[in-house]
Amino acid sequence: MRFRFAGVAGLAVLIASVAALDASPALKPFERGTWQGVLKGHAGRPVLVHFWGVTCGPCKVELPLLGKFAKDHPDVDVVTVSADLVPNLPAATQSMLDKAGLSSTENFIFNDGFVERLRFEIDPAWQGDIPRTMLISRDGTITTIEGSAEIADLEKWSAQQLSKY
Amino acid sequence: MIRTGLLGIVALALLQGAALGQMHGKHASEAACEEPTLRCATKATPAFGPDGTLWLLWMAGGQVSVANSQDAGRSFSAPTQVTTKRLNLDWGPDARPKIVVDHKGGIAVAFSIFRDEAFNGQVLYTRSADGGKSFAELKPITANNESQRFEALALDQDGTVFAAWLDKRNRVPAKEAGRKYEGAALFFASSRDGGATYAEAALARDGTCECCRLGLAFAAPGRPAVIFRNIFDGGVRDHAVMTFADVSTPGEVHRVSTDDWQINACPHHGPSLTVAPNGTYHAVWYTNGKARKGLFYAHSRDEGRIFSAPMALGQPGRNPTRPFVLAGPAGTVMVWKEFDGEKTSIQMTISRDDGETWSPPKTISSTSDTSDHPLLVSDGKQTYLSWMTKADGYRFTAIEDQP
Repeated sequence: MRFRFAGVAGLAVLIASVAALDASPALKPFERGTWQGVLKGHAGRPVLVHFWGVTCGPCKVELPLLGKFAKDHPDVDVVTVSADLVPNLPAATQSMLDKAGLSSTENFIFNDGFVERLRFEIDPAWQGDIPRTMLISRDGTITTIEGSAEIADLEKWSAQQLSKY
Repeated sequence: MIRTGLLGIVALALLQGAALGQMHGKHASEAACEEPTLRCATKATPAFGPDGTLWLLWMAGGQVSVANSQDAGRSFSAPTQVTTKRLNLDWGPDARPKIVVDHKGGIAVAFSIFRDEAFNGQVLYTRSADGGKSFAELKPITANNESQRFEALALDQDGTVFAAWLDKRNRVPAKEAGRKYEGAALFFASSRDGGATYAEAALARDGTCECCRLGLAFAAPGRPAVIFRNIFDGGVRDHAVMTFADVSTPGEVHRVSTDDWQINACPHHGPSLTVAPNGTYHAVWYTNGKARKGLFYAHSRDEGRIFSAPMALGQPGRNPTRPFVLAGPAGTVMVWKEFDGEKTSIQMTISRDDGETWSPPKTISSTSDTSDHPLLVSDGKQTYLSWMTKADGYRFTAIEDQP
């Protein structure tokens, strides 16, 4: 019993320390190779990948709209990637995702100081402007929306994806 | 079963801990280390003093520090910390601390911090009157409490320090009046005492892009010229130049180029401007517009009213970024970054005919990890590349006369 107690206590301490480390266990690190993993992991499904950042004004306006879109379109896999370059962001990032209703989507945060290389893997022409949305259809065709997306355009794309099957 | 389940939870917790730990560790950082030393810097800004001393200002470990070099960057003095405690510095891609050194050796410094959890910025300034041994207490450049970022400093011939920055104060009254307000505003202030105090901030232009660095140079004594990403009709974020009539009087806005980049986003990629002694404006910028995409150069020989046709820079497949231009003693030099999928290189081209023709671009430095923007600085005899890299530290390299 004592052992078990110690184990439970240890676990509690461990969980507490993980929580203290950061309040955002749901955020996944986006590193070298992650982009290919995202593409493979969602292959055959319509995917919306949204790149954003907490210091980006237009992103703050768009994120809640995207949260509603995700809720209304369970057939579309929504993935967010915090591509901001300010350090120590996980807590602020998670807080904004939670407020935007995006707690349960697959959420990443850039986790490689060599951001040029990360961006190059995603799109060699991308220079880091955010927000940026990549729409990946079932057949793998990628449509990139630079800047804030019009929700009407997302609706249209989503309807096209569903009508194909 | 229970034990297995517990172990599973423990393993999961450990995995999460490891992943998050990584996010806080070196791996995720643009910095090589976390101390305030130059080796750990992510941004470093050079300036020459009147006696040929090279001054370097950098941000590292949440602090801003300065040191000087008497041997063109080969060695530096013991650093002086400009900040007295760790601050939430603006680490955005286009942010960096600024420095000018006046003819008496006074050092004026400005930089931005994030003032709150919503990432509202604040521009702070300070000055050293004892040759960089100590700095005055940090002060906000304006009493206004709306967000300010992307300050720029320039020194006039008479020692006046001119500051410009992007300021969001006018968003509030616009919103209250039900008016649409896009972006931010270009604000400015000048200092007649070498950067010890600044005059009240004034508006130069509403409706600028809010997240790109400014380019600032003196076109003539008393006449600062600013290049900035403006928001033109229809949300088009193309570049504009404004030449001030004097340090208190903004001038007209002239479009550098019609690139037609209509985007509601933060490009995080500002321009650069230099004015040659004969008055020619040389500008470089990034756009992703309908008319053209990439890095471009143009010059103006009529005080920034009309610019030449944009000239593309760099290899399109190598993601050319972060252009900088400086009219120096041996010619006008441009540098920018290119990336080949593994390495970042600095490309350089030089013009000896005031921007009419340019040498073939040449790789002058490279690194295999993240790096600061390339900057150019001149002591009046020689132009140098200043470049902070994570893997290889700080580099200060003379631009060779012959390309």
